[in-house]
Amino acid sequence: MIAARGVDPDRRLRIAVPKGALFPDCVRMLAEAGLDVTGLAEPGRQLIVRTADAEFIISKPTDIPVYVAYGAADCGIGGKDVLVEAGLQVAELVDLRFGACRFVVAEPADAADAISERARHLGVIRVATKYPRIAQAHFDARGIQVELVKLNGNIELAPLIGIADVVVDITATGTTLRENRLRIVEDVLPSTARFVGNPAAVRTDPRVIELADVMSALVKRSLQAEGTAPSGAGSTTPAVTDPDGKDPVHS
Amino acid sequence: MRPVTARGFRDVLPAEAAEREALGARIGDAFSAWGYGLVETPVVEQLDTLEAAVGPLEGSAFRLVDLDGRVLALRPDMTVPIARLAASRLASRPGPHRFRYRAEVFREHESLRGQSRQFTQVGVELIGASGPAADAEMVAVLVEGLRASGLTGFSVAVGTVAVLAAVVETAGMPPAWGERVFSAAHDRNLVQLDTLADEPGVSAAAASALRAVPRVRGGREAVDACRVAATGCGCDAALDELDETLSLLEAAGVADSVLVDFSLMRSFEYYTGLVAEAYSPGLGVPLGGGGRYDGVLETFGSPSPAAGFALGLERISIALLEQGVTPAARAIDAVLGGDARAALVAAQSLRSAGWRVAISPHSARALVADADRLDAAEALWAEGERIVRLDRSGEPLLPLATPLPGPPASTWRAGGERS
Repeated sequence: MIAARGVDPDRRLRIAVPKGALFPDCVRMLAEAGLDVTGLAEPGRQLIVRTADAEFIISKPTDIPVYVAYGAADCGIGGKDVLVEAGLQVAELVDLRFGACRFVVAEPADAADAISERARHLGVIRVATKYPRIAQAHFDARGIQVELVKLNGNIELAPLIGIADVVVDITATGTTLRENRLRIVEDVLPSTARFVGNPAAVRTDPRVIELADVMSALVKRSLQAEGTAPSGAGSTTPAVTDPDGKDPVHS
Repeated sequence: MRPVTARGFRDVLPAEAAEREALGARIGDAFSAWGYGLVETPVVEQLDTLEAAVGPLEGSAFRLVDLDGRVLALRPDMTVPIARLAASRLASRPGPHRFRYRAEVFREHESLRGQSRQFTQVGVELIGASGPAADAEMVAVLVEGLRASGLTGFSVAVGTVAVLAAVVETAGMPPAWGERVFSAAHDRNLVQLDTLADEPGVSAAAASALRAVPRVRGGREAVDACRVAATGCGCDAALDELDETLSLLEAAGVADSVLVDFSLMRSFEYYTGLVAEAYSPGLGVPLGGGGRYDGVLETFGSPSPAAGFALGLERISIALLEQGVTPAARAIDAVLGGDARAALVAAQSLRSAGWRVAISPHSARALVADADRLDAAEALWAEGERIVRLDRSGEPLLPLATPLPGPPASTWRAGGERS
């Protein structure tokens, strides 16, 4: 599928912005990058906000890679988690460093023995997740056979109601997991927000690269202000493709 | 049962088919003008043949098992089948060989991604020639093909995989690291490339090149910018070649459509030098692309340099529609009514004069309705020896002159032109 979006050379840059947890930081970042974001912070029920500089498409986070990959948006901001799960062709241009969270494997605090017992007798463990691709790749890389159950929300409920033994989910602070008596067993992948571009727009629309450069400079400046080394942090290597075996820390 | 087409496949009805035929012919003619001869290959190849050239096709090729237990695959592109053809059939003939094709190719896609599983590619392969002259010919033919399609404002980005290969070579890192670099570059993941450049052990020259090279783009001056960005990585020879290629493209009169972009990294399994990709403004996917794949024929036991590209006919159609310049093509010139015998005779003489004519059992208004439905330019009535034109309301107008004129270039209805 290829999005139709017109060929008017004067048209505004189309930027996909995820609603939800990342939204306030996205608006701040876009404003700091010098874009007119009038009306974006309080869009009401509007899903497309036009300003002097851009056309912002406010979308569900999981739809960001779809809009950008098919060219409906020239660029956008999306969580690494969503990008990996979508597996679509988008150009990842800048690690924006906000919206940090981790993909983790978690299990009921007291269930480790029961789960390995089950795996011994039945050969598989049942995994509930919103992210079947990431979860499958993670367990494949470890040679663990799993049965995946895709759920659309409240993943932490799954072990409590017996639909799965463990969950693969994202967590920022671990609070929700703890409150549901789940213990983090393993890190799968760290995630932060990324500025992404449509692969063709990156090559043909200089505004996308200019915006990426501005954002990259902003990120560097704020990292220096915090005194954090700009390198290494927010590594984007999915654990499953790490051939050196340098897996993220096991907790 | 109510039959459906399989997911990702579709039927093409006459109006669209006529446009596709006209578009394919325009582009094919442009390729022919450069001496590229049409070839056809089987729609299936042995899976191991394809995989030897491009690596695993798990999940991306349609596979079939024949009665001998052999695994076959529907061709996912035409480059490997033509390389196979050249290596197996033409190895002893002197090259270079210039081939063009228009072919359906097949790719597996998961459901609900809005992706076609069959599409049409038009393209060329230049086998047995290398160096800037051959590279420039490739890019020039690509530009000429796009010009012939009727598109305006398109651009062709060119780069070379040799630069990144040289950077990886000088990094002093294990092969696994290099594979991650190629994979990140292929995915256009600049964030990941920066991270890989930061890894301990990467030589300083390679690290700074890895951060800078994928961000170098522009006109011919970008080649020198890349030279600076990749200082000490041993890619001067590759850049000299690219610069010479660009200079030849200026001479060929196509440089205004060409940009240099070092972030362009197509599959490293396959490409060994120049890579190119074509874009149309406002279209979120490339129109097509290609490059130099000098290693593929060697895989088939007949080493020979080769380069080529493919354009997606459907993507070009979308871009043309967006620009409002779809080729006006019509499948039929006239609908003819009248006494069955008279109509047969009249239709035969019209065909001899170059008309495409369908005979209709209707008359008057109903005959005009037939002409409208079939998008014919004229509604005609055979009356004895004479052929009379009908007006919109089905009333007879003047008879056609003798000898019969050629088919009309435009319709009385839409003023459109015939391809």
